[in-house]
Amino acid sequence: MAASEENVSIADHAKRTRREPGALRQYATQLAGNPLGIVGLVLVVLIIGCAILSPWIVPYDPTQIFVGPRLGGPSWAHWLGTDQLGRDTLSRVIAGSRIAMLVAVATLGTALTIGLLLGLIAGYGPQWLDNILLLLFDAVRSFPVIVFGLALVTLLGPSLQTVILVVAITSVPIYARIARTQTQSLRNAEYIQAERAMGAGTMRTLAIHILPNVIGPLLILVSMDVPLVIATEAGLSFLGMGVRPPTPSWGTILNDGYGVIRNSPWPVISGSVPIVIVTLGFTFLGEALRDIFDPKLRRDL
Amino acid sequence: MSANPFPKSKGIDRRGFLKGSAVAGLAAASMPISTAVWAQSGKVLHISSYADIDELDPGFYQNGYNVDVMNCIYSKLVHYVPGREWDTSLQAAEEVKQVDPTHITFRLKKGIMFTGGHGEMTAEDVKFSFERVIKHDSPVKGDWGPLDHVEVTGKYEGTIVLKEPFEPLWTITLPYGTGCIVSKKAVMEATKDGGDFGMKPPAFSGPYILDTWKPGQYVKLTRNPEWKGTKPGYDEIRILPMDDEKTMEIAYESGDLDFTAVSLSSLSKYKESPPAKTTIQEYPSLYYVWVGMNMENPALTDINLRKAIQYAINVPQIMQAAYFNQAKPATGLIAPGLTGHRESEIVPPEGDLEKAKAFLEKAGGPPIEPLTIDTLNATTWTAIAQVIQAQLAQIGIQLKVNVQDSGSFWTIGMESEGDRWKKMQLIVNRFSMLPDPYYATQWFTTDQVGIWNWERFSNKEFDKLNQEALQETDHDKRAAMYHKMQDLMEQSGAYRFLTHEASPVMFRDSVKPALRPDARPLFRFFKPA
Repeated sequence: MAASEENVSIADHAKRTRREPGALRQYATQLAGNPLGIVGLVLVVLIIGCAILSPWIVPYDPTQIFVGPRLGGPSWAHWLGTDQLGRDTLSRVIAGSRIAMLVAVATLGTALTIGLLLGLIAGYGPQWLDNILLLLFDAVRSFPVIVFGLALVTLLGPSLQTVILVVAITSVPIYARIARTQTQSLRNAEYIQAERAMGAGTMRTLAIHILPNVIGPLLILVSMDVPLVIATEAGLSFLGMGVRPPTPSWGTILNDGYGVIRNSPWPVISGSVPIVIVTLGFTFLGEALRDIFDPKLRRDL
Repeated sequence: MSANPFPKSKGIDRRGFLKGSAVAGLAAASMPISTAVWAQSGKVLHISSYADIDELDPGFYQNGYNVDVMNCIYSKLVHYVPGREWDTSLQAAEEVKQVDPTHITFRLKKGIMFTGGHGEMTAEDVKFSFERVIKHDSPVKGDWGPLDHVEVTGKYEGTIVLKEPFEPLWTITLPYGTGCIVSKKAVMEATKDGGDFGMKPPAFSGPYILDTWKPGQYVKLTRNPEWKGTKPGYDEIRILPMDDEKTMEIAYESGDLDFTAVSLSSLSKYKESPPAKTTIQEYPSLYYVWVGMNMENPALTDINLRKAIQYAINVPQIMQAAYFNQAKPATGLIAPGLTGHRESEIVPPEGDLEKAKAFLEKAGGPPIEPLTIDTLNATTWTAIAQVIQAQLAQIGIQLKVNVQDSGSFWTIGMESEGDRWKKMQLIVNRFSMLPDPYYATQWFTTDQVGIWNWERFSNKEFDKLNQEALQETDHDKRAAMYHKMQDLMEQSGAYRFLTHEASPVMFRDSVKPALRPDARPLFRFFKPA
């Protein structure tokens, strides 16, 4: 009978295991219960989908001039009309999503990596190093982003790389400060002290124990910063300081459209709507993720 | 000798013309103040300027937006006459006579007073105003060219003595900025050495005075209580600095402006449905827009490549795409109506792709590395650059568009600003202009290389003609010289002339504007309708 009891016990365990949802499923369930989160997810998937598939789904070459009537309104041939050079606005908006996402991924990826590293060093390292790094963070943060951008663009020339550099540099201190604060609060925790007492090295402590606890809040922040970064790129491009013409970006579509707004409002509308969509999408999704992963942060905020 | 400075008045003797004009001016000046009827009391004119004023000393100013204000607060011997044709008339002078190519006599009207108790305008003030430009090495001393001195022959009389003949004296020097007369006494008290008084005019001699200047916000001019000439049309002129034409249009529609320039992209819409109680008028412009090529850049040293680019550029297509067909192709630097305007250019406006390909073949094919074209970050300019990019792609030349902000753009070819000029290849450029051909060609001489001559065009014949044309008093001979100069520029392959643009304006029906033939406003003469 012992074998039979053992079999029953294993089956019960299996049933219990099946009944308890996994962490991912749990998160998905929580997200499904948040309507704004779902809206955000749909919008984000839409934008990312456009960005990835843009070369295949654009109806026309977004840089080809004189393909249609200039400053035409929406039609079956051109759903969002055409710009002042006769280019299909829908194609330019779709192609612009690729630039926007490229800037967001490259900028935030760079800023997060460097910011996390510097934050860990500042929070776990000696006091003098912390002071120096804090001074550096504050100095960089004191520059208004657009003004700093204009200065850098003047020195390096306008390009996509310059835009990425500008936004990355100005974003690093944000992540670094948060990583530093989190690290400082963890460095004296009992389990870290115990780990140290057992002879763990600094690198091991940072990599195994502190980093996993620090990165969560930063990832939520990153998702909420995506629209900010995209808006900065659009702002610099609107001022003519972003990507080179004829590469389409939402900012250049807005800039070109502003010049001809009396003739046709469609280029301006077409350049604005994606920025609104991306802002709402990432904000809703970011807030939902924050509620799921860090309810305490929500209360604190 | 054809003495009149403007082609329109060709054949009219300069002396006779100015004497004739004196009659009207004299009548106005001698009008007793008690009989003068003030224009509608309490009237305020709201206008905009494309930049905020930054220098009100006529001896040291550098930009046209300062002259717009200086025209109101100072008086000159002669001034531009508002209208569709270029012409000048007497202002502070009762008579101006050219007695020989280097001597010009003048006689001032009596009773023109400087404000602040600085007395009546005399020939000493004229001498002081003109000579200080040369004495203090002013940035605009070129406008006074070969001025030797001014001889005072009486309280109101004097003679301007030149070292050599100088034709732009009649078309630019006297009627534009440096022709303004300041008070010797007031300036000496304010500056000690008679130098630059910047933004603080020590005395006014025009129908308006500078009442308030709020940097970046507005300039307020009010009536000069000591003015005894023809009464100005408004009690107050308020000038708002706006560097964007779209902003001006919005301001006009919202009622903040009574007069404004209109962008070419908006013109057709405004003509279809103008704002209420508004008149729209179209004027030609003197600006010149061109594509320049840096002849010393290693990628562009071959003249065949430059000519291939010239022939590949289709100007009417650019007019359509960037100017909404509201501007016409240019034949050169000098606009229609001015001495030296060419009737046709060497490279046809439409270009010629077959010739372009032939020149490209002679050059050994397209450059391996893409060329660059620099442009200002304004919609029209970037549109021009993108159309050229597409046109050059037709013959296999790849072009990258570099968009620059104004601070970066306007120093790109200057040697004094570092080595950026070495990397500059193609550029979309636009210069302003005054109604004398010298004002256009002076920037392309050898001594301007690395200053404003960014193509680094250097031609001895051009330099010689430019100098000789300053002294040539025969209109036809002078015109032929400027034709030749533009031919030389075009033959170098370094220039593709695009357009002179156009200058549409709109104003309320309650305003009677006074504009130069290129639509630059002469606010001093604006009146209520």
